Amino acid sequence: MGVLRIEPARAQPWSPRSLAVIWRSFDLQLTIYALLLTSIGLAMAYSNSVESGGSLFARDSTFVRGLMWAGLSMLVFAIATAFDYAWLKTLAWPIYFTNLGLLAATLVVGSGVGGTARWIPILGLQFQFSELAKILMIVVLANFLASRQGKLDSIWSILGACMLVAPALVLVMLQPDLGTSLVFVAILGGMLFMSGASLRWLGLLAAAAVPASYVAWTYLLRDYQKARLLSFLDPSQDIQGAGYQLYQSQIAVGSGGLFGKGLTNGTQDSLNFLPVQTTDFVFAKLSEELGFLGAVVVFALFVALIWRILVCAWRSRDPFGLLMASGIASLVLFQVVVNVGMVIGVMPITGIPLPFVTHGGASLISLGLGLGILQSINMHQARAEW
Amino acid sequence: MNTVAQEPPASDRRPLRFVAFGIAVIIGISGLSARLFYLQVSQGVQYAQIATQNRTVQQAIPSTRGLIFDRNGRALVQNEPSFAVKIRPVDLLLSQRDAVVARLADLLRMDPADINASIDENPGSRFDLVRIAQDVPRDVADIIAEETLALPGVEVDVETQRQYLDGTLMSQILGYTGAIDAAGLAKLKDQGYLSDDLLGKAGVESTYEAQLRGTYGLETVERDASGRKLQVLETNKQPVAGDSLQLTIDTHEQQLALKALTWAMKTARLKSGVMIVVNPQTGEVLAMVSVPTYDSNKFATGISQKDFQKYAKDPNQPMLNHAINEQYPPGSTYKLVTGLGALSDGRITPTTVIGSHPYILIGATRFWDWNRAGFGPLNIRSGFAHSSDTFFYQVAQRLGITRLAFWAHQFGFGAPTGIDLPGEAAGIVPSDNWKQNTFGQPMFEGETVQAGIGQGYDVATPLQVLNAYCTVANGGRLLKPQVVRQVIGPDGNVVRPFKPILIRKLPTSTSNLVVMREAARQVVTSHHTYNLVELPIPVAGKTGTAQFGVKDAQGRLPFHEWFVAFVSKSGNFARPDSQLAVIGFAENANTVGNVATEMVKYYLQLHFKLKVDKRLPYLLRKGNFYGN
Repeated sequence: MGVLRIEPARAQPWSPRSLAVIWRSFDLQLTIYALLLTSIGLAMAYSNSVESGGSLFARDSTFVRGLMWAGLSMLVFAIATAFDYAWLKTLAWPIYFTNLGLLAATLVVGSGVGGTARWIPILGLQFQFSELAKILMIVVLANFLASRQGKLDSIWSILGACMLVAPALVLVMLQPDLGTSLVFVAILGGMLFMSGASLRWLGLLAAAAVPASYVAWTYLLRDYQKARLLSFLDPSQDIQGAGYQLYQSQIAVGSGGLFGKGLTNGTQDSLNFLPVQTTDFVFAKLSEELGFLGAVVVFALFVALIWRILVCAWRSRDPFGLLMASGIASLVLFQVVVNVGMVIGVMPITGIPLPFVTHGGASLISLGLGLGILQSINMHQARAEW
Repeated sequence: MNTVAQEPPASDRRPLRFVAFGIAVIIGISGLSARLFYLQVSQGVQYAQIATQNRTVQQAIPSTRGLIFDRNGRALVQNEPSFAVKIRPVDLLLSQRDAVVARLADLLRMDPADINASIDENPGSRFDLVRIAQDVPRDVADIIAEETLALPGVEVDVETQRQYLDGTLMSQILGYTGAIDAAGLAKLKDQGYLSDDLLGKAGVESTYEAQLRGTYGLETVERDASGRKLQVLETNKQPVAGDSLQLTIDTHEQQLALKALTWAMKTARLKSGVMIVVNPQTGEVLAMVSVPTYDSNKFATGISQKDFQKYAKDPNQPMLNHAINEQYPPGSTYKLVTGLGALSDGRITPTTVIGSHPYILIGATRFWDWNRAGFGPLNIRSGFAHSSDTFFYQVAQRLGITRLAFWAHQFGFGAPTGIDLPGEAAGIVPSDNWKQNTFGQPMFEGETVQAGIGQGYDVATPLQVLNAYCTVANGGRLLKPQVVRQVIGPDGNVVRPFKPILIRKLPTSTSNLVVMREAARQVVTSHHTYNLVELPIPVAGKTGTAQFGVKDAQGRLPFHEWFVAFVSKSGNFARPDSQLAVIGFAENANTVGNVATEMVKYYLQLHFKLKVDKRLPYLLRKGNFYGN
């Protein structure tokens, strides 16, 4: 493959007409849904800042930091949109090894809660590279699977994809961050499925996952992880222990009712009954303050967002684009289901953020990057048929 | 190499897989929505209630504990606000415990072992507060409050603590308040006691706990998840202050009694002694001193393990009120029971003469008189005055063990007097029944005659002995001794006025009581008590020398000494008009003369402000058995 692959559309001088064409290929809907979800996340950060009583515009208030991350994320989105995604194919392998390097560095210098290593301080801010790793892994996998077009019936394509993911998965497991490693698995599964890989082999692989997860459960997981995973089955068993977060979270959600208690009026969160209320459990806060109707609006936005991502996949003539979009769709769907499921007590606690809404710089910037790449895919190829 | 003309390999779009993915999205989101609908709409009301309970707690508002005054209205205790440091064990992670305890120990100048003991002996659950230290200085409390983050689970509370104004003077009567323990909490939880509550643990603080405590109020408080109190939402019930107590004790008399006892103990080198002063007409205890004792304030401020062990391991048992919690052989003071019993049963008359001897024989055993010579022919008055053992052996033989036990019980022996102080001992009145139950055999005759002079199985508390003599002094009314005169409500009204409580009237004649009072007076006038007669006050009494324990190398037993006295108001002992009865008790005295007599004499001199000093310190040398 050549290094320079300048497409004619880019080589031509930017004329009003071509700009209009490009603009038409820019998926405004996708961007708006993402912005709305981000705004809801900012509203939650605002509510948290008001409730915790500090100055709303203090330098380190949750709200101000949320605004800053959102701004950075939009910048990254804009850059990624303007950037020709085709370069990503070229840079796939450097990206892959940079990714592994960042994850390894996190293990060495990272800090976290309770003996974990998840965050790396950058310019005084804590950055979680495993969030970025999710997007980068999608890029790498998309490149790999696109290059195996036509050979996707082979078991080797599937195994190769697994081999690519494995080192990153192990590095994340070592942090230990069970949630992110499950996201890797979900991305892998979703992309393989959408790539057109043999369903037979995928089914076999899924079957093999059963004994593998037994082995992981017995030998790899630590006791606190098991306790957290199991507590969702009956949070009242151990209300002050692993079940505490779940129990309080369900109370928060349930007490929100149909219309919610109103922004900044939650009692579960303002009195700190609700743990990690702007990050992993932000949806509990949202349900408490905005009620069932607010939650349904958020669901609707996610469904619309995933629809637009799938549209991007469908339109892409380039298998890389299809796979890239499939990976991001899988990521969003999996994280929404697992995060919300955790908050409402049907999924184990795994520490997976709710895309866009969770207050967290790495997650937001990584998603900005991902959506930027999708827009680049939309814009940097000829118009699809619809 | 490529251009747009050469399309990149067309993507392998699989419409069915797109549809499948879309279905997955719909199923996932619908499932979440359904669950959310169940939680928020179907169960919303219930969860809203839980959320309300979650953030509000009802907590007690402590009431002001009632105060305690002496009979003249002098305050004996006050409530002082003080800082208390408490720990909520559930918030203190095991991994941090050592560091937190070490830091607290450093700040509070406590032994870390004491802090650990408090946490481990936590009476409540892990979610309840445990008191670690009381009476914490303000600057230390401030530091601890500031270091909250480094000291998880540690809280600083303001609470009121008792301050006993006379230190050790009243400790055995007042007792002290202390932290509730697990057993106490289990019993009192239903009455609203809290895991970090303080309650009366000895003395009247304990017996009158219900009155002193008052009624705790209740408030609804908004709290955060860490249990921190944010604001009071509502006061559900106002606390009601506790009632105050007016004691029968006269601080001045207590001081005099302590002074007399301390002098005697110091001079005779005693380890332990008791003095009690009672008004025989009413049963009011005017003074009650038991030495050694403890400092109520040490307990009230949270006693350290070291101090507590010092008290607990002291062989002289300072934590016990020897006036009522311990029982001793009453010795010759018991001859009152034998004498009055025999008179009342008609076994002897006031003029019956019985010969006293060096000893009497029962089987092959010699039962000696105390002077090993006898006193010749005696009647009840002279026999009592000389305290002749052989005289009373024979009276006891005439009375028999069953009637002797009957009369002992009439005098209140063998049962607690019912004084309003905790832990009173009952004493033992031996009888056939008692011995059958205890040792499986009847009383032998030798044991009966021993019982007649207050030896053998007989044991009694000093208060029981004094109360028996009060009964004679007041004309035959056995009264319940009382240390609390009145209970006074928080508004100053008397809730429970004082009235003497009659246990029983002795089933005997007035004349028999006159005989025994005169016999007791003769103890003094016969110079059996040396120069006590020279005091310008009409005092009657009875000495006692009670052997106990094991014989020394010369075959001599150690002995306690007793003297119980009552003062006639009119000077005529035919009248039951005594208003002052005193008992002195010297534990393990072993002195040449009777220490107890000397201490009572000194007390009477002080009480009546006599200018004369008739004390005979030479009698208080350690020495041989001197007499009953």
